Amino acid sequence: MSNRKSATARRRLFAATRYHTIGLFISLLFVAPIAWSALVSFKPSAEAARPPLPPWPVEGFSTQSYENLQKYGVGIWTYAGNSLTVAAATVAVTVVISLLAGYGFSRFKFPLKNVLFVLIISTVMIPFQSILTPLFLILTKLGLQNTLPGIVLIYVTLHLPFSIFMMRNAFDAVPKEIEDAARVDGASVFLMLRRVMLPLVLPGVATVAIFAFLASWNEFLAALILLTDQKKYTLPVMMAAVRSGQFGTIDWGAVQSGVMLMMAPCLALFLLLQRYYIRGLTAGAVK
Amino acid sequence: MSAQHNSAQPKATIELKGVRKSFGSVDVIHDLDLKVEGGEFVVFVGPSGCGKSTLLRMIAGLEEVTDGDILIAGRDVTDLDPAKRGIAMVFQSYALYPHMSVRENLAFGLEIARTPAAEIRRQVEAAAGILKIGPLLDRRPGQLSGGQRQRVAIGRAIVRKPLVFLFDEPLSNLDAELRVSMRVEIARLHRELGNTMIYVTHDQTEAMTLADRIVVLRDGRIEQVGSPREVYENPANLFVAGFIGSPRMNIIDGTCLTATRISIAGTEIELDRPMPARSQEAIKLGIRPEHWSITDRQDNALPAQVEFAEYLGSTRYVHCKLANGDLVTIEQRGGRDAKPGEDLWLNCHRQALKIFSMSGEAR
Repeated sequence: MSNRKSATARRRLFAATRYHTIGLFISLLFVAPIAWSALVSFKPSAEAARPPLPPWPVEGFSTQSYENLQKYGVGIWTYAGNSLTVAAATVAVTVVISLLAGYGFSRFKFPLKNVLFVLIISTVMIPFQSILTPLFLILTKLGLQNTLPGIVLIYVTLHLPFSIFMMRNAFDAVPKEIEDAARVDGASVFLMLRRVMLPLVLPGVATVAIFAFLASWNEFLAALILLTDQKKYTLPVMMAAVRSGQFGTIDWGAVQSGVMLMMAPCLALFLLLQRYYIRGLTAGAVK
Repeated sequence: MSAQHNSAQPKATIELKGVRKSFGSVDVIHDLDLKVEGGEFVVFVGPSGCGKSTLLRMIAGLEEVTDGDILIAGRDVTDLDPAKRGIAMVFQSYALYPHMSVRENLAFGLEIARTPAAEIRRQVEAAAGILKIGPLLDRRPGQLSGGQRQRVAIGRAIVRKPLVFLFDEPLSNLDAELRVSMRVEIARLHRELGNTMIYVTHDQTEAMTLADRIVVLRDGRIEQVGSPREVYENPANLFVAGFIGSPRMNIIDGTCLTATRISIAGTEIELDRPMPARSQEAIKLGIRPEHWSITDRQDNALPAQVEFAEYLGSTRYVHCKLANGDLVTIEQRGGRDAKPGEDLWLNCHRQALKIFSMSGEAR
């Protein structure tokens, strides 16, 4: 009896050990590059430029790379501010438009509804690099070239198809009878959206917000082409500029500290909204 | 207090005048007229797809009316918003707001109507008292059982102090036992509040027990309107005869011989009253399962063969085949069990025999 018990216990222990060892190994694989970046960012500049083994600082811990980064151009906080402004504005505009559009496409009847929806979705198929030139010309005509609002408009345009699709699905998943009940209770269209529908599609909103934030925060090409004034650079453009040091050398320490700095808000936002985000992606998948 | 309030109100009538509804080119409600008296409990029944829910939603204002007028308490509400019609509705899926507590769910409609906070509080407490959901007020719908959710949904209807209550299959999502107790509860509510109520269901028991009047619908048309007893005992046509009652009424082919004599499956039966049919006219006969008895061989008795028998405790259903191949179900309350394959003689109670023309109308 006791023998069998201990055999079961041993088998369980073995299974648990195997499961956790493999899991640990795989997570290490994923964490390694990030940890490496973090370690390198704390090496003194000179050491950071040498061959990268061992990855951790041997000549002492230093924040020199961060200081270099901070002093670059008009100062890191201007660039971070630009990036944050652009990302926040993109998120805000995208969420508002896609919320209204998703509600409309999901719940209202109007002529050419499906044609319009397919038309919006189909714009995803156009590679945006191919329309950069016309976008540049349009923005110049509007006097928005080399301005942050201009770049926000571009980002919003790029994210809208996915966001509208996402929000329509979120609204579709809300049972129609809840809306009927609210109508009987006397809710107008906008009151209904605000008090009844919005809380129910919040996971969809979180998903749209995360996607819009990450994409606009990391976007490089459009920002590089449309922003010409150094004071208006966003972080990715500024990082590309930092990379090239004197005589074509690369300041690896500054690059890695920049990576760390850019990663922080993304991680924070994702951790904050993670719960909603997963629910949003699977909304309507079951039932 | 709600009861006092409502007894002071005049009881609202509902009138449908030539109401029509079409989705594209498909007509789902055809030119329908109906008058519901004040304080009446009317039940719409019919097979699925007969338009009963659509009709209810049209009265609620959730579905547009293609043609015709709807009057509530004498006021034309055809083009009014649901909230302005003086109605409250209870849905099959409860349709509670999942992100609000029970209290907020009940108060939502009043808040929109800008009712003072103290008044809202009073009414919510009163409704919670009537439905015994006081202890649940601070919970979310997700934390309630199906029966509790439906109570909250009914509570949300009560606080609106409507002229008319509309129920759209409110008990269909509940299990059998709960359905019975909620049915009793709804009957009690009607007695206490005295409002006009319209109730949609496909469940005959609900229809028979709750209704003052039953409206039987088929394909967007009214087949019959009447008290449960009228509809059961004097069905207007073959459809109503077959739809109301479980197990369904037996429909048998027959021929009229003379004014008081008919032939069913080769057997001649003398009637107790003259029949409104021509001689040699083919007719349909309707006989409910409880209006048969198993007898010894005698005149007027029909020979039949038992197909199978169901034992239900207090009663038994014997499914038989007549000489002409028609199947009949007989309710048997006493005597010995019938065995499959056995030959029997059946006697039908002539006074309960319903006669229909071949096109289905009652004679």
